[in-house]
Formats: sequence, C-alpha cells, structure tokens
Amino acid sequence: MAKVIEVKNLIKKYGKLSAVNDISFSVERGEVFGLLGENGAGKTTTLEIIEGLRKPTAGNIKVLGHDIKEGISSIKQKIGVQLQSSAYYSFLTLNEILNLFCSFYPKHLKAKDLLEMVDLTDKANAYVGNLSGGQRQRFSIVASLVNDPEIVFLDEPTTGLDPVARRNLWNIIQKIKAQGKTIILTTHYMEEAEALCDHVAIMDKGKILAIDETHKLVESAENPYVIKFIAKNISKEIFKKISSLGDMANLFGKKNQFELRLKKQGDVNRALELVQKLNPEKITVGNATLEDVFIELTGRTILED
Amino acid sequence: MFWKLFSTDVKMLFRNKQSLFWAFMFPVLFTFIFGFFFGKNTSVGTIALVNNSDTQIAQNLDKVVSDSTLFKVNKNIAENDIKNEIKKSKVSAGIIIPENFGALDPASPKQIKIIYDPGNAQANSVISGFVRTYLTQVDFQVQGAKQIFTVDEEKTSDKALNYFDFVLAGILGLSLMNSSIIGIAVGMSKYREDKILKRITTTPLPSWIFIVSEITSRLIINLLQIGITLSIGYFIFDAHIYGNIFIILAVAMVGAVLFQLIGFVIASLSKTTDAAQGMATAVTIPMMFLAGVFFPIDTLPKWLYSAVQYLPLAPLLRIIRNVALEAGSPFDNPINAAIVGGWIAVSLIFSIFMFRLSDE
Repeated sequence: MAKVIEVKNLIKKYGKLSAVNDISFSVERGEVFGLLGENGAGKTTTLEIIEGLRKPTAGNIKVLGHDIKEGISSIKQKIGVQLQSSAYYSFLTLNEILNLFCSFYPKHLKAKDLLEMVDLTDKANAYVGNLSGGQRQRFSIVASLVNDPEIVFLDEPTTGLDPVARRNLWNIIQKIKAQGKTIILTTHYMEEAEALCDHVAIMDKGKILAIDETHKLVESAENPYVIKFIAKNISKEIFKKISSLGDMANLFGKKNQFELRLKKQGDVNRALELVQKLNPEKITVGNATLEDVFIELTGRTILED
Repeated sequence: MFWKLFSTDVKMLFRNKQSLFWAFMFPVLFTFIFGFFFGKNTSVGTIALVNNSDTQIAQNLDKVVSDSTLFKVNKNIAENDIKNEIKKSKVSAGIIIPENFGALDPASPKQIKIIYDPGNAQANSVISGFVRTYLTQVDFQVQGAKQIFTVDEEKTSDKALNYFDFVLAGILGLSLMNSSIIGIAVGMSKYREDKILKRITTTPLPSWIFIVSEITSRLIINLLQIGITLSIGYFIFDAHIYGNIFIILAVAMVGAVLFQLIGFVIASLSKTTDAAQGMATAVTIPMMFLAGVFFPIDTLPKWLYSAVQYLPLAPLLRIIRNVALEAGSPFDNPINAAIVGGWIAVSLIFSIFMFRLSDE
C-alpha cells in the first residue's frame, strides 16, 4: 500500500522541553492509524505538525508526497482536520458553518449530504451551542470532511463523551474509513484504539515506545494470558504457588480482587486449579489487551483528566 | 471565497444582538444626552429674574434678559427662594433688580444682585458678563460718554457653530474608536481562545482574506453608527453639518480601519479575552478624555497637550471637525493626516508581524 504520511526523525522543542523527541513512522493509504498515549505524551503536537499548524524543530514530513515545509497549501486542500476541543461560530447554524467551510475549498461536498452522514439533518438550522456533546463531536468530525479529504485527522474525537455517544462516533469513523479515506487519530482510550486502529503507535514523553499493527502489539504482550479472580479466603501457601507462575497483583488496590498475568498458555490450567482451591467468588480468564501492553511499556495506566 | 466569508461575517455581526445594541446605543445615548443639554440653542440654563423696579432702565434690562437666547428665564420664583432653587438645581442663577433701581436720584440703589452657584462657572460667567455689559452701556448713556476702547471680534469660522456641533463630531470619533478597538480586540481574542482561528488555519483560506473580511464587515456597522449619530444630531438637535457627507463617511471609515488595526495589535499582545478587554479599555478610556471628544484639549497642561495631540483619536477628530463643520478637506492640515497615516502604518506593520491565526 502507498504511504500517505511519512514522518522521519521528527523533533519539536519548546525551549529546553522536548515535546516530540525524534520519532519516525509512516501511515498507509486507507488505514486508521492511532497515536496512543497519555496527555502530554506528544500526540497532539505530532498531529499538529503534520497538519502544518506547528513548525517542527527538526525532521522531515511528507504528506501525500508533499514536503510540509514547501507544499502546505497543497496539503491543506487534501486533508481534513478535527481539532481537540475546537469551538465553532456561535451565531451560525450548522448548515451555514458547513457552507462557509465549503467555500474555502475549490472542491467540496454538499452540507446537506454531510449532515445526513452524521444524522444531524434535523439540526441543520440549529446553532452549535444548542447541540449535545455527542452531536457537537459528530458535527466537528463532519466539518473536517467538507473538502472530501484524502486524509482525516481526528484529535481525541471521543474524549468526554458517554459510552453510547462514543460508540456512535466509532461507527462514523468506520464509515469514513469505508469510503477509502486514511484516518489518523489520537486517543487515550485503549479499547477505542483496539476497536478502530489498524496500526498503533504508543507514545510516551515525546517518544514512540512501540509501533505495529494493533493485533500484533496486543499479541506482543509479555504476559498475554490474564486470570482475574475475587477470593476472600486467602491462603498464603496457595498464593505463593500462584505467584510463582506469573505476575500477581491486587486489582486497583482492592484487597480481595486479584489479577494474574501469565507468559505461557500451559500455565493457565495449573493457575486455575490453584485459584479454585481458594473458593473464589468469581474467575475470568482472558487475553492481554492494548492497555496491558501500554502498562508494560510505560509502567503506568492512563488516567483521564 | 472572500464574499462568502464577508457576507457570513456581516450576518454574524447582525445576529449578535446584544453587541449590536450597544454598538448603536452608545453613540445614540451620548448624542441624546449632549443634544438635550446643548442642542438647538446655546442656553446655559434657567435663571430666576426678580424685578422690583419699574424704571425704564430696569424694564429694559428685564426685557433683554427675557429675550436672550443665552438662558431661559423664570419670573415666578420669590427672592428668598432663589438660593434654595439653585441648590436644588432648578435654576442656574438669580438676578434681583432692587426697588427703584435705575432711578437717577442719588439715594436710589445702584447695584443689581446676582446669586449663583460657584460650581457652575459657565453659567456664572455668561450671566455676569451679560448684565455687566448691559450696565456699562447704560452707564455711558447716562453719563453722555462714548466708549473709546472696543473689541474687534473675528471668528475662525464664518459658520454658525455651537458646542453641540463640536461634541457631535467627537461622539463620531468616540463611537468608532470604542466599537472598533474593543470589537476587534475582544472578538479576535475570543476566536483564538475558542480555537476558531486555529480551525481556520487548517483550511487553505489565506490569513489576509480572513482579516480583510473581518475589517470590511465591521465597516458596515461603523457606517450605520455614523449615519444614525449624524441623523439624530442633524434632524433632532439641529446640528450644523456643512461638509460633504461622503467625505465625512470616508474619513470616518479611515478612522475605523485605524482603530480596528489597533484592535488587532491588542489581540496580538493579549493572551486571553479578559486581558484583551482590559487592554482595550486601558487604551480607549484615556483617549476618550484626552483626545478632545468633549472639550478642546488646549486647556490641558502644556506637557500633557504636547503628548495627547498625537494620540490616534486627536488628529482624527481634528480632521472630522474640519471636514464636517468647516466643509474643509481632510488634507487641509497635512500634519493631522500624516499622524493618522503614521498610526495606520505602525498598527498595520505590527499586526502583520505579530497577529497570528495559528499558535505559532
């Protein structure tokens, strides 16, 4: 597949602070590429440099074959950008805002079709201030599609939304992907990255810690098998035996809830036998997730603001 | 691209009803206030006149005072009530002509009493001067003398002008300054805070089109402000406007552009909307009082006058007054035009280099 974004040795410094520290990656046409990391990891800065909103300190970036230092005006014709927490004009209706943004491009879609795509047709004459959080984000995404872009940048599109609104947005993102567009999105929701992204780069402190196809990253977890259980009768002897099989930890500091991470599939049955001896109230067995990979790589969980 | 943005900007300005209301209300309010005080006639207030004498001289004084357009006369206030009425601000001063004043016998009273509020210096000087002039003429007549020394008065303008005309031109400049500086500084800072400017930079729209559209759309509001203010002054309060209305509007638009550019300078320097509001107020309030909106600035201390005459509003007001009240050209005094041009150039250069739609 053709590469539509190529980032090489990108560095962005603010004084002595390195916001982005020598990262390289590429994005292929038609895929959903996720930049995953905590707030301050450098995701948004990276995205905004690629969009031409910030200047890199060093490094080379090509978008659709154009170097961003020289061809940013050509690039802007072909990309769509949804900013993190961007507002829109208070005194224009959704229809008017889309028509205004359409007028900035020589080639554009119809406002009516765009609103239909995100199920906001009945809100065409409403002001943005009268929309719910989910509707506002849907509008924000569709406003990035006015020029029928080849690449769509979505910066934390689902942050702050309730689970239903988030799932609705996932559907929209999948619809956009189905149109053959390339999507590059940032998120700190692991399940979102797992559900949507073909490739994921995990960022921390301005660096890329890991980058691969999403399923391969998950498979690469050091302890790919996870047993979670709740036990009230705690036998030190049994616990010692269980702990010897893998990494054992309390779940979120709860004294009777445990999580056992195992390297080998063969150890799963042995561990389950031992756990049964504790008369557990509940046992679940599963695979490691992207979150587990993230924790392994960074040593932290992602906390929302 | 430009026309769509321009028409959308105009639409937004007119939909922002609260902002629009104050943009028009501000100059309208000032015009009405000054119009009621100083429009139509140049009365300095109402005076209480008590005439206790029936001599010819006293009757003549009574008549000239009553006929004067300098003040309104109330003859229904008793002598003892005048001070109270002045304290209640119902009259500005009182003239009491004593019994038998004007009779030529030595025992008759020779003084007219004027009661006034020392805080109302303007009314006092007008009334006192009026009565003294009348009495001087009577003195000459009675003594059969002729006045030797006189004054040759020459006006700087052959036009009939009054204080309201002076202030009306000031209100035009003031409303342009306030709506343009505050409108742009706060508007752009809010756009930046809401990341609307950043969103615009993700599109291929050139920054200059965005800025030109912002400026030109606001000129529509400025034109209406000027039109409404002049109409109220002219049709309701009989303001004297001798200049060509199109030249007045053209000068006003140049002033509006100047103040909008200053608004962009403030928007460049302020990091938040609150800061922009504060800076804009700090720029406009001193100019409102020091640039000659309500009174001529030559009464200021020399050092202050030397400084404030170069404030952007001061030369603009001089040009507006020359064009509107004297039917002159904007370039009659090239220094005023040069100062305005200089401010436009400096603000434009600063805005070009400092005002950014994007964060970097």
